[in-house]
Amino acid sequence: MSSTRSGTPNWLVGHAVLVGAVFALPGLFVFFRAAQLGGDLGSTASEVVGPLGRSVLLALSVGATATALGTMLAWLVVRSDLPGRRMWRLLLVLPLVFPSFVGAAAFLTSLAPGGLLHGLIESVGLEPPRRFRGFFPAWMVLTLFTYPYVLLPVAARLRALPSSLEEGARVLGRTRLGAIRSVTLPQLRPAMLAGGLLVFLYTISDFGAVQLLGYDTLTRVIFATRLSNRGVSFLSATLLILLAVAISAWARSAGPDQLRPDERVGRFERPAEPLGSIRLVALGFVSAVALVALVAPVLSLLTWSIRGLADGRVDLGELAVPLLNTAFVGIVTAILAVVVVVPLAVVTIRHRSKVANVSSVAVTGGFAVPGIVIALSLVFWALNTPGFSFIYQTFPLLILAYVIHFGSQALGAAEIAVRAVPDEIRESGRLLTPSRWLRRRQVEFPLMRPGLASGAGLVLLSTVKELPATLLLAPIGFETLSTEIWGAYEDGFYASAGTSSIVLVALSGLLTWALVLRRA
Amino acid sequence: MFPPKTARLAIVALLAGALVASACSSASDDGNTLTIYSGRTEDLIDPILDDFEAETGITVVRNYGDSADLALLIDEEGDATPADVFLSQSPGAVGFLDDAERLAPLSGDVLDLVPASVRDDDGFWVGFSGRQRVLVYNTDLVDPSELPSSIFDLADPAWFGRIGVAPSNGSFQDFVTSLRTTNGDDVAQEWLEALAANDAQSYPKNSAIVAAVGRGEVDVGLVNHYYNYRALAEDPDHRGLNHQFDETDPGSVLIVTAASIIEGSDQSEEAEQLIEWLLGDSAQRFFADETFEYPLAPGVEPAADIPPASFAAVGGIDFEDLGGGLEATREMITAAGLEG
Repeated sequence: MSSTRSGTPNWLVGHAVLVGAVFALPGLFVFFRAAQLGGDLGSTASEVVGPLGRSVLLALSVGATATALGTMLAWLVVRSDLPGRRMWRLLLVLPLVFPSFVGAAAFLTSLAPGGLLHGLIESVGLEPPRRFRGFFPAWMVLTLFTYPYVLLPVAARLRALPSSLEEGARVLGRTRLGAIRSVTLPQLRPAMLAGGLLVFLYTISDFGAVQLLGYDTLTRVIFATRLSNRGVSFLSATLLILLAVAISAWARSAGPDQLRPDERVGRFERPAEPLGSIRLVALGFVSAVALVALVAPVLSLLTWSIRGLADGRVDLGELAVPLLNTAFVGIVTAILAVVVVVPLAVVTIRHRSKVANVSSVAVTGGFAVPGIVIALSLVFWALNTPGFSFIYQTFPLLILAYVIHFGSQALGAAEIAVRAVPDEIRESGRLLTPSRWLRRRQVEFPLMRPGLASGAGLVLLSTVKELPATLLLAPIGFETLSTEIWGAYEDGFYASAGTSSIVLVALSGLLTWALVLRRA
Repeated sequence: MFPPKTARLAIVALLAGALVASACSSASDDGNTLTIYSGRTEDLIDPILDDFEAETGITVVRNYGDSADLALLIDEEGDATPADVFLSQSPGAVGFLDDAERLAPLSGDVLDLVPASVRDDDGFWVGFSGRQRVLVYNTDLVDPSELPSSIFDLADPAWFGRIGVAPSNGSFQDFVTSLRTTNGDDVAQEWLEALAANDAQSYPKNSAIVAAVGRGEVDVGLVNHYYNYRALAEDPDHRGLNHQFDETDPGSVLIVTAASIIEGSDQSEEAEQLIEWLLGDSAQRFFADETFEYPLAPGVEPAADIPPASFAAVGGIDFEDLGGGLEATREMITAAGLEG
């Protein structure tokens, strides 16, 4: 390993190039097919301009509100003396785990007569909406299902920040809100930006929820034309990818201080901020979010489920193997995604490598490519790269698809984790022991752990609910909870879909607690 | 909560268990194995395939997925595809593979098991069950006396804002293609535009429309008849009911689910055996009695509570006869502004 104090080790550069190339595979496939099929640019443009505008509008709106909501909730569950913080930390992450179409359907069921939200709205004397469709409903539902993308990294960042900064500001005469705004928020900006970017990318790639909520976006064009007019379909996918790349590149350059290691952090014990007179208001707010984003859809799913369990249509025992398979792919993907992106984060932040920046954009963009496109692209590459066809319909190819799709969620968190190790601490570490590995284990890793755990957690939650790539790429006969949910939901077997979804939420809660929160 | 060590042990056990489970579930290829890609989901076909295995000793490896996605997968896999048989929920996806020359011709013996109207004219696929296009309506919001006898009545302003459709879904596109065959492109285009002008709400698929009608979000919806029977089986309080258009109306066309053999399959004999099984008595009875569909083999009657379909109204859709085929249909739907 050749390394100098200021130079970048060759293996890190090589790793960055390789990662960038692999993550670019779906995009290259789409460009190749779009060129080959030669869709008519003019007519495609006129067809997609409206949906594209709506995609951007929705993604910007959801990105803004989810960032605000996720940041507020993160502060409350990490920093304040909110009652039941440990429970909220877990519950408030779980809305992320609903597969998009199921979450939206369960939400609509809750608004319909007999549903929890319908009853609540009536109980305060209002008329529940008969039809909940269009921009505002899509905005609201997606915000409620995506804010955890912001909550997890911001909470991890908050845990690594010393409260002495805020205290100092208050000693100097700032109000509490003023101190948060002028001292804490700037420190949170990279995490908020990373999370907000994930929300934006998720929103432009979503199909299930926006379609069910009657808001027409670019993904509808990609899906509706995938058999009948493939040229238009691939040109639309090209547009989606270019949009994702542009926004990722913009986000990476947005904060000049974003990519540098932090000089001011460390791990400090600190007392919780007393909320005082607004403690009950805060509790009410957090409860309301959990009620609408988690309890309401879960109750709808339970209603479906209980009908089937009551008359024996649904057999819980049949879910044992899918449950194990789901946990297995989730854990393996989460670990692998973190391992793949950490060196990239190191070379980006400590060495400020240009190559790594380009690779990072490729990694980030992967999240916006619809799962079906990632799946088809890996079919293409596996079968057309000489010597690689043996990997087709095997487990490693499925995991590779997941890592490409969700690596971006680990990357943002990994950069925050690397930033949490200030240069001074690394330097003083050198004085303690000459062993690089010992230093990493005993000095750097503990500082990085909250960030890495939050990234692994996001990847885990996304993987366990992933559908299109799982259906197309898994070894034939490999069943997961999400394939069970899809199979049942597709043809209207709601009892069975509801039961599998509840099991998925429970499994996600258990894994998030055991693997992420306990370690963060 | 349990201590860290127990948690770690539990996770290791979980991973080990999953490995064993996934190893057990992968099928062995002993030469007498047939691989099917099925757009019909597990609940709608698994028992039939199990019976086939028991009867013939041929193992059936099953890859379930969305019909359109599986068709794209087979096309992308090309000659490397492990698929021997493709079962599609609708004619569009088999039509796509037919156009891409990925299907092998079926023998006359198999084709003759169904009436000519529900199979491909060139003999590349056969229908094996049918779903009739109907209007599902909410029993609280719609008075049965105002239900239309023809899809063309839905252009009336009385239906403004009350209709649900699934313009990006295969079965709606196949139905519009059929409408073009029977009534011509101009009539079809005019009707689509009238629907859009009547503020028809668009949904991703049939089951979503049936759920929306049940919730009262829209009053009526254009769907395949199957989904409302399913919804009633799930929830006896579901408020949707099916209404059939006149049997001569283009709106009551039968959409078939289709079976085909993949070009290059080295198991075409076993594949034909499977398709014959799907058209045999026990499978056809299963489709009639268990999945609320229309059996297509002559001599098998639909279940008692399913209204009889008029076979005169059934049309096999010939995509090649139509200018532009499915692509033109899709463009007409988009041009009408139905999707936005």
